[in-house]
Amino acid sequence: MGIRECAKNSKAFERLLYHYNNREEAARLFRQKGGKVVGQLGADVPDELVMAAGMFPVRIYADRDSKLIEADKYLEFSFDPVIRAQFEKLVDGTYYNEIDFLAISNSTDVIIRTYLYLKEIQRQEPQKPVPPLDFIDWLFTRKLIYQTRNEFTIDLFRKKLEEWSGKKIADSDIEAAAAICNESRAALREISALRKADKPRINGSEALVIIGSAMFMDRAEHARLTRQVASEAKDWPEIDAARIFITGSAQESTELYEMIEKHGAVVVGEDHDWGDRYYERDYNSSYTPTRAIVDRYMLRSFSSKKAFVSQRVKALDEAVNAAGADAVMFYVNIYEESASWDYPSQKKSLEGRGIPTKAYVKMAFPITRNEWLEDSLKKFIDSLKG
Amino acid sequence: MHNETKNKIEPKRAQKSLKATAAASAYQKQWFAGLRARVEAGEDFGYLNADVPMEILRAMDIPFVVNQWWAAICAAKRMTQKYYSLLNAEGYRDDLCSYCATALAESYDPDDKISGPWGGLPSPTIAITRLTCDCQSKIFELFANNHGADLYVMENTQPRKAPPKWWELAPDRWEELYDSDRLDLAVEDLKQLIAYLEVKTGKMFDINKLVEVMDLINEQETWYLKIRDLIAKTSPAPVTVVDTINAVMQAQWQRGTRWAADHAKSLYEEIKGFVDTGRTAVPDEKLRLMWLGRGLWHDFAFYQNFEEKYGAAFVWSMYLAMGADAYIRNNVDPDPLRALAARYIGMEDFLHMPPWNANWFLKEARHNNIDGVVYMVPENCMQAVEGSYFIKKTLEDAGIPVLIFKADPVDARKWNRDTMTGLVEDFIETRIIMGGKK
Ligand code: SF4
Repeated sequence: MGIRECAKNSKAFERLLYHYNNREEAARLFRQKGGKVVGQLGADVPDELVMAAGMFPVRIYADRDSKLIEADKYLEFSFDPVIRAQFEKLVDGTYYNEIDFLAISNSTDVIIRTYLYLKEIQRQEPQKPVPPLDFIDWLFTRKLIYQTRNEFTIDLFRKKLEEWSGKKIADSDIEAAAAICNESRAALREISALRKADKPRINGSEALVIIGSAMFMDRAEHARLTRQVASEAKDWPEIDAARIFITGSAQESTELYEMIEKHGAVVVGEDHDWGDRYYERDYNSSYTPTRAIVDRYMLRSFSSKKAFVSQRVKALDEAVNAAGADAVMFYVNIYEESASWDYPSQKKSLEGRGIPTKAYVKMAFPITRNEWLEDSLKKFIDSLKG
Repeated sequence: MHNETKNKIEPKRAQKSLKATAAASAYQKQWFAGLRARVEAGEDFGYLNADVPMEILRAMDIPFVVNQWWAAICAAKRMTQKYYSLLNAEGYRDDLCSYCATALAESYDPDDKISGPWGGLPSPTIAITRLTCDCQSKIFELFANNHGADLYVMENTQPRKAPPKWWELAPDRWEELYDSDRLDLAVEDLKQLIAYLEVKTGKMFDINKLVEVMDLINEQETWYLKIRDLIAKTSPAPVTVVDTINAVMQAQWQRGTRWAADHAKSLYEEIKGFVDTGRTAVPDEKLRLMWLGRGLWHDFAFYQNFEEKYGAAFVWSMYLAMGADAYIRNNVDPDPLRALAARYIGMEDFLHMPPWNANWFLKEARHNNIDGVVYMVPENCMQAVEGSYFIKKTLEDAGIPVLIFKADPVDARKWNRDTMTGLVEDFIETRIIMGGKK
């Protein structure tokens, strides 16, 4: 199935797909006009603040085929393959030519190490083309003292953005940017409703494109195009297929979803950062800006990296219910281990409710390197149909 | 060695020679029996990860056991293989987080009371960890559930500034060492922990008791500083890491007690006695080696493999040196909680973060007249990923060769002593003897 003709025929979808496939394009144009671009490493760099500073946020991503010369030099083998490929581009000059600054969020262990290593490279080897960077030391444990601490941290980041942009950020700037981000999220929720409907009109591959494109393009334009797609997709053909929910490693491309959907299943939801989790929870404009930012990023649904097993079990159960999934697939890249501690409890809970699961762990990147995978996926999907 | 393994004879066990080690082993057995009795009598019992500020529980007289200490006991009793098969049977992967997951694995053992080390782990009522890696909270939650214990977690923050010589600031000038907001938060975290423990156990936290505990720790760690300096300047060395690791760590987990401070003193006196009478660990010492990484709990004898053939002695590991440089906090009185905060938040920075760790290793390598460094990077722990490139570069730029290899500190299944011995021998021959300073 993959991306269907009906989607490709939509002008609005085509624009989103263009930005999804040409991830540097919008940032390049923004810089050409004298704007500054902030790369975001990790899932918790607030777009709202970057935009309020008049800068353009883009997500750091991995090239699937890059040679890992710098990564192999600096990183231990236990850095997962996706962060390795991202690191390569941050050190070999690729991003140096595309972004002005790098904001790193404490979204998982490996990102903390990456931050420290990048800082150390800057200190010891200043000739290396690593962009100027800052670290947002989020704490995700849900206690008042950490919420308060996060407010402090976000105020520091705001100051750093002011320094980078040379512009004072007013509260009203943040509110305006947040309104745009909320728009884009609201539009994505319309897509989600069509995707999770009894008869889905949008499949997982299409949804990933619609969600992921937001990370690389003007957010207001993204909101407008996404609404357009949502209105057109009401008339796209219904999808009758086994409904699968994906959890585990973030999928920065549609490869895995296309492989699944090729064999007669549809991915109706996921809880990784390049999917449904991206647009969860709005900026609450009745709060002061700092509190609203902290609320939005700290209290989103639990990520697999920063939560207890029990929190993850409950979060996954709820997300799977909301998506009306028939089965759950755990897909975890090699060395991205923490989710493996959740899996047995999640499996038990899901299977206890009659929802079959399938786990793929220690996966190589890109996914085509797992030559056996497609056969195995097909078998699993066939078992759901029977 | 090679023949032994070929003939499937059990590998040689480490020779440990210190009275202080024997004394510590005897003490901890007796202490553990006492702890068991208290737990069986209904007292609350804490199970703590190593980076949790145990001083609070010590000051409140709440019995506790440290996760890494217990994992080492399990490894020394060669329980790990059994435990990983238990994890497997529960659907968990058995190739993750071996060090931290040992006690979780054990908690699935129905026969723990019979076959567990020292009669098994009594069931904790409180499990406390810090979020210094993504897996920690998950493992501790599962462990706490299996025991019906409360789970309590504390956060971890990253430094924004990194003064180059932390060890010079740590004992007295911690306000310069850390961002003050990090210290503020850590103090708040301590207060919340205290409030929780007071409610849970019904015991009051008395700040004066904490001062006593902190003073005893200063006393103890000052002895380690003297021992470290003594070994550093004495060649041939009076003892190697095989002698010191256990003697130091067993007492380090008891820190804040009179016994631990006295034990550290006796360790110093014993080693000083060796120096005074000319007793040496490797009489023919030609090369002094540094061990970086966690202790090889399941194969201490490995460290002694290179003594006869090359006169190569492992004289340095972080365990003693951390005691010497990272623990002492003078002038505790005015604000003991802040002094404690200034100790516990630093451990992660000092050990696992470039440039703090690399600079310190270099300073220690020079101080101990080290000829070569053997550096074990664990295979399955993100926390112990600590900038090996920068560490190796810092040391090698200063003319000290480094061998990096992968191994697991507690998982004997993955350890091949022959291969590792071959690697180190090759390193000694080609990088130190042929290429190095001697
Ligand atoms: S990643 Fe390392 S520190 Fe964390 S739980 Fe696993 S073994 Fe322990």
